[in-house]
Amino acid sequence: MRAVASLVVTGLVALLLALCLATSAHAHAVLIAAEPADGSVVTEAPKTVVLRFNEAVAPTAVSLLDAAGKPRDVTIRAVDQSVMVTLPADLPQGTQVVSYRVVSQDGHPVAGSLLFSIGVVTGSAAPAGDGVLHALIWLARLGLYLGLFAGVGGVFFAAWIGQGPAGERLIMWSLAIGLIGATASLALQGVDLLNLPIMGVLTWAAWASAAGTSLFPALLLAIAAMLVAAVAWRSPSFSAAWISTAIAMICVGLSLSVSGHAATASPQWLTRTALFIHGVGLAFWMGALAPLAVLAWQRKDSLLRVLGRFSMLAVPAVALVALSGLALAVVQLESFGALIDTGYGNILLAKLALVSLLLTLAALNRLVFTPAVAREFHRTRPLQRSIALEFVLMIAILGLVALWRFTPPPRLLAMSDDVPLAVHIHTDAAMFQVLIAPGKVGPNDFVLQLMNGDASPFAAKEATLTLSLPDRGIEPLERSAALGPDGYWHVKKVPLPVPGRWHMQIDALVTDFRKVTLEDDFEVR
Amino acid sequence: MRSNTLLIATAALLAASPAVAHITLEGKQAAVGSYYKAVFAVPHGCAGSATIKIRVQIPEGVIGVKPMPKPGWTLDTVTGKYAAQYDYHGAKLAEGVKEVAWSGGKLSDQNYDEFVMQTFLTDTLKPNTTLYFPVVQECEQGVSRWIDVPAEGQGGGHDHGSKTPAPGVKLLPKS
Repeated sequence: MRAVASLVVTGLVALLLALCLATSAHAHAVLIAAEPADGSVVTEAPKTVVLRFNEAVAPTAVSLLDAAGKPRDVTIRAVDQSVMVTLPADLPQGTQVVSYRVVSQDGHPVAGSLLFSIGVVTGSAAPAGDGVLHALIWLARLGLYLGLFAGVGGVFFAAWIGQGPAGERLIMWSLAIGLIGATASLALQGVDLLNLPIMGVLTWAAWASAAGTSLFPALLLAIAAMLVAAVAWRSPSFSAAWISTAIAMICVGLSLSVSGHAATASPQWLTRTALFIHGVGLAFWMGALAPLAVLAWQRKDSLLRVLGRFSMLAVPAVALVALSGLALAVVQLESFGALIDTGYGNILLAKLALVSLLLTLAALNRLVFTPAVAREFHRTRPLQRSIALEFVLMIAILGLVALWRFTPPPRLLAMSDDVPLAVHIHTDAAMFQVLIAPGKVGPNDFVLQLMNGDASPFAAKEATLTLSLPDRGIEPLERSAALGPDGYWHVKKVPLPVPGRWHMQIDALVTDFRKVTLEDDFEVR
Repeated sequence: MRSNTLLIATAALLAASPAVAHITLEGKQAAVGSYYKAVFAVPHGCAGSATIKIRVQIPEGVIGVKPMPKPGWTLDTVTGKYAAQYDYHGAKLAEGVKEVAWSGGKLSDQNYDEFVMQTFLTDTLKPNTTLYFPVVQECEQGVSRWIDVPAEGQGGGHDHGSKTPAPGVKLLPKS
């Protein structure tokens, strides 16, 4: 009995001792070397990346984000103290990120990232997105515009100007295409944001991510506008149709003014108002074309009466569209040179060319064709052809406008070129001002201005910058800063290969035995 | 009886066998108002490079520091004024050792060694907190600074989430 008790006690003691000591035994593996080395530029794509640690490790996850911002599959193999990562054969030129998570002998996870570039350190490795996706986004956007301007505008015209249905089939088709375009725009936005393959439209994540953007309320308003318009077509009375089509038109204007490059430009009271007017005016104009063409084709008795009423309103409406468009162009462009130098400007230039053609046609309609019909009622063919041509021109213009989805306006380009990203981190202990130039995807220069809490200079012996992007699985990248003659700490040419909310940690060594650590996030476009 | 001793010895060996990567204190707990033999375990160098110097900063409230000499290593201390006066066997101490350094030796990355000092933990230290001894490990190539002390109110875990935690000892009430 005594022997058994003694054995139990000894066993317990042994167990406790083991537990106690086990918690003290924690081996953190350290990355000693990598091939290719962190931050290096190689001429040819390597077949493998070798991570060498100071002890044997078990890799749990190694991921690769290529220079196009796409996650790629890699195979990993642990050999002694090294982890061999076999890379895909078709890596694009530019900066690649290898993020690793390994477990050291005692089960302690260690994570880090390694950056290397093939050929060049990429300056524009934003998720490239494939051509098919962009074509679909463009098509969805064009469909949406057709629904808003030809569809909602057409119903508005029928209620207020035509005072009778004409061109029903075209208007209803426009609304249907618009509703599909709006829904597709939302799904494709999510796919584009998350860099998913196109089948990603079937995932919940794509929709949820798109729902978080400013496009979401804009599309909801657009859908509301089109649904209200579709119902208004069957309104029992004129007054009901007047009210509901007016509401639909207001939704069109609001939808355009809540999202997009132009809506976020300042001064916002101007850009948002201009967008509202531009959208409503355009819907009024484009909405009239299909019904007028149909009336002209059918040589309806009401044609002259309707034409007269439309012409009276068309001049101020077109003037408002032109004026608001001009205001928006001035805000976005900032200079004439940008018309030539930037993709945004080129699209605007092409749009202006088509718009002047359109205005010429509108003037012809008003000054030549309409009076001709008034004189001899059977001569509606020129008028009808010119209206049809106007409609086609408008669709071409909308196609151009939909391209703006892919080009940042010069205003934004200028902003991000001149002004580095500034991050201010302030705690009781210290105050760090960090300037990140240019603050965009690609190589970035960091300037760290270290100050004490009372803004007096903060004397540091060393400073280290650690960056990570947890959302994209990029584990911490460490870079030491160098003290410049200006008294600031500099880290030059740090590649930030993908956009997103990066996390930054700055460790400043005050004495050999004390350091101050501050952390913050910053957004990279 | 012999088998029991063997069992304990095996358990201890098993538990201790993984390589310890952090510099840690061997004695995990100590009571305030008593002597504490601080044993700094150095399990490896700086990312593979051999250790050539160990510097330990003595926290405030720790007095009567007597470092143990090591064959092949030069022992240096830095003395200075304490922030307060402490009672030490009836005497008032206002200054003493603030930093201890062993240098001139060479501890290969493959080997393990211990650096020892005797200290007295004054009862001005707060029980149920952790007392940290920041350590700078200098190697043939590079430096590892085991100096991360968790901010007040944080903590949790033996290394409080840091890659380079300062070694610490849990303080117990005066016995």
